Amino acid sequence: MTMAHMKNPLATPDQIFHRSSLDSPPTELRDAIFFSTQCLTQAAGILLQLPQSVTAQANVLLARFWLIEPIMSHEFSDVSAATLYTVAKIGPCPCTPRDLSNVYAYLLSSSSTFLSPPGNNPPKNIPDDYYQSETSYQAFHSRILSLEHLILCSLSFDTTVSLPHPLAITYLQSMDFLYVPKEKITRRVVEYLNTALLSPQLLCLTTQPNGLAVAAIYNAAKDLGAKMPECEWWEVFDVDREDLGFLVVGMRSLEGWVGGMMGEEGVLGKKKRGGMITRKEVRDILGGDRPPQEEEEDPEVVMARRMDEKMREIEGDAA
Amino acid sequence: MSASESQEAAGRPQSPRSFAIAHQRPRSSFVGCSKIADYEVLGKLGEGTFGEVYRARSRKTGALVALKKIIMHNEKDGFPITALREIKLLKLLSHPNILRLEDMAVEHPPRSADKRKRPIMYMVTPYMDHDLSGLLDNPSVTLTEPQIKCYMQQLLQGLEYLHANRILHRDMKAANLLINNKGILQIADFGLARHYEGKTPQPGHGGGEGTRDYTALVVTRWYRPPELLMHLKRYTTSIDLWGVGCVFGEMLVGKPILTGESDGHQLELIWDLCGTPTIETMPGLKDLPGAEAMSPKPRQGNLGQRFREYGSGAISLLRELLKLDWRSRINAHDALQHPYFRNPPYPAKPEELPSFEESHEYDRKKYHEKRTVLPPAPRGGTVGRGPNNDGDGYRNSGGPGGRGYPRNNNNRNFGGPAPAPDERVPAWHRDTRLPPRPPPPADYGNGRDRAPRGGGGGNRQDVDTYIPSYDRDAPRRDDRRRDDRRDRGGPGDRRRGDYDDRTRSNRTRSRSRSPLPPRDRDRDRDRDRDRDRPPRDGPPHPR
Repeated sequence: MTMAHMKNPLATPDQIFHRSSLDSPPTELRDAIFFSTQCLTQAAGILLQLPQSVTAQANVLLARFWLIEPIMSHEFSDVSAATLYTVAKIGPCPCTPRDLSNVYAYLLSSSSTFLSPPGNNPPKNIPDDYYQSETSYQAFHSRILSLEHLILCSLSFDTTVSLPHPLAITYLQSMDFLYVPKEKITRRVVEYLNTALLSPQLLCLTTQPNGLAVAAIYNAAKDLGAKMPECEWWEVFDVDREDLGFLVVGMRSLEGWVGGMMGEEGVLGKKKRGGMITRKEVRDILGGDRPPQEEEEDPEVVMARRMDEKMREIEGDAA
Repeated sequence: MSASESQEAAGRPQSPRSFAIAHQRPRSSFVGCSKIADYEVLGKLGEGTFGEVYRARSRKTGALVALKKIIMHNEKDGFPITALREIKLLKLLSHPNILRLEDMAVEHPPRSADKRKRPIMYMVTPYMDHDLSGLLDNPSVTLTEPQIKCYMQQLLQGLEYLHANRILHRDMKAANLLINNKGILQIADFGLARHYEGKTPQPGHGGGEGTRDYTALVVTRWYRPPELLMHLKRYTTSIDLWGVGCVFGEMLVGKPILTGESDGHQLELIWDLCGTPTIETMPGLKDLPGAEAMSPKPRQGNLGQRFREYGSGAISLLRELLKLDWRSRINAHDALQHPYFRNPPYPAKPEELPSFEESHEYDRKKYHEKRTVLPPAPRGGTVGRGPNNDGDGYRNSGGPGGRGYPRNNNNRNFGGPAPAPDERVPAWHRDTRLPPRPPPPADYGNGRDRAPRGGGGGNRQDVDTYIPSYDRDAPRRDDRRRDDRRDRGGPGDRRRGDYDDRTRSNRTRSRSRSPLPPRDRDRDRDRDRDRDRPPRDGPPHPR
């Protein structure tokens, strides 16, 4: 079991290959969705004051889930919220559905700066935008709970995620932090590891934690000009040269890719106000050649909304 | 390199990445759950912590399995966290003496049903023929010393593995120890288990020092160590070893050895057996919250006398396991080295053990409750069973060839048919006062749908005629609830990371409306309630 803490179930080549055939939007769009959603999870984790160890596990579970379920089958932000909720629940700091609902409502509102293009003025804060009525809360809550169930079933309840971060620290310690300031190199390593979570290349699903840890150390050492051992030190940590090479490039390439995507010609750059991408936008981009599937609304939710409206009318009359 | 390139690369053989992937060792990857249709459901076994348990056969492998249904009550917090925790732990464990979680199976509600209904989940584990509690109560079974040693060794090996992997079981008891007809014993029901912090037990140093607080509301009362009864929160793996001691004693005498009716009474029974605690026998006693109001009549403890007939080796090991001082209570590793296992008669090998008719705790309860009209046996002091009574009592209870009772006919009202007047009752009958019965075995229960197996079981039959009466213990339960309310909710406990309180309240909320009752009572009542109403849907329909 000690070893079990260091290993993850990985994606099979088949799963990765079939990802594109699962009624999926074109690769570029799909990758943009993936990246945005992972960023959304991170942002929500910060607002919910969850430790990064929890948020990062939610990132990995979400990536696993989308290998099994078509990316378009649920609203992206809901999947993000449901994975975060599930992971937080098992971990040391569960969050309440109410907090979750508030945080996601805020992040999805136009008042938040989430993924807003650089250079934009900060949006005006309009609390009404992200006020959650009882109706919308109930609807959110019920969507999250059914998604939680679906996620758990899809993953066969395998909710354990081994993160590379603790391993990377151990490796750094064993190498005396490559004789550069501890804080500096550790910070850089952690940055690389956190970035890898966002990678649409699914680095965290194709590589075991030890590989990610070694690659992050390699990149950080390069960035800081630290001197690495002359020998093939990565072999000590069970990583071979080829894997390392691939991971190093994969981790480094993400920044440029994000830049392109957020740029004027990029998928996300075209969104003027930034913010989270939605299924509706994706369908619009795809030219609406598919009729938008009307979501069947829960009759109870509809009823609750009608009652809310009625109440408002009554209150309005009274006023 | 863009992500899109890597995507293409996955399908291109010459890329180093796809080469690496193609040459990956086979690993458990994430595939979804099985469908319930992958299993042929053979019948209901009983009620577990989370819900009903069924016996089934895997259509893929042909293996017999137990399906444990996870009850979902459309809970506010989604999937029950206790179940999630148990599943997560079980998936990390792999040891011959730990029940293996083989699969999760999903049953989708029919399309026409309520849209908000979520699928039903089942935990799939290998099928085990007995639980130890049921086995001990099977009158045709008398454990021999080599057999007891064999089971004890397996129990300790499983526990040593758990503790070495930083897991506290927290619900050690005979009903949670499953045994199959190959002589293998496995520890089951991890619904209360959790990771612990701090050092793993070191040889020669008992359970060591606790490093942080956990909830004291764990372990079924009869198996609960004195320090927990006195609300120690900073406990260690040694709480599980106390339970092993209780199970060991239970195997020797054939019934639970410390059957307290309240927490206070439980402590009194412990002092009877082990002597009243002093600073020497239980260092740190004065610091225990529950020790303040306590002033027991000093006594020596009658352990040696009570277990005299089982020999000095057994007494010595029992003393080590039932040591009041939780810091020096023997750990699993050291217990395995105890001379008891090295002196003749030597432990049997599992494959040498006889096989028995299936027996589960669920059955046993039924038998005992059948006889609740009779006066209680003297409790605490009696050792051994009335050997001549047992067998007959059982065999007569069902009548030969008593099969063919309609299934699930145990849903009649309270005060239903009284036990047949001619039923004989063993003298040691003990359930008249309805103590906090250990909950039904989490995984298996009664075997009423099964044909009797060969192997010395006689023709005991499972009968569903008895309807127990519960009213009489109501006041006691209220006492208990008050007790436990006082215990609960230490400040800051919740955010601290031990979510048991929360967990428990979830479970409670989901299954009953009373405020946070203790686990065993909760289970008792739930079980009672379940008996008291029409059967649920019956076995799931294979689709």
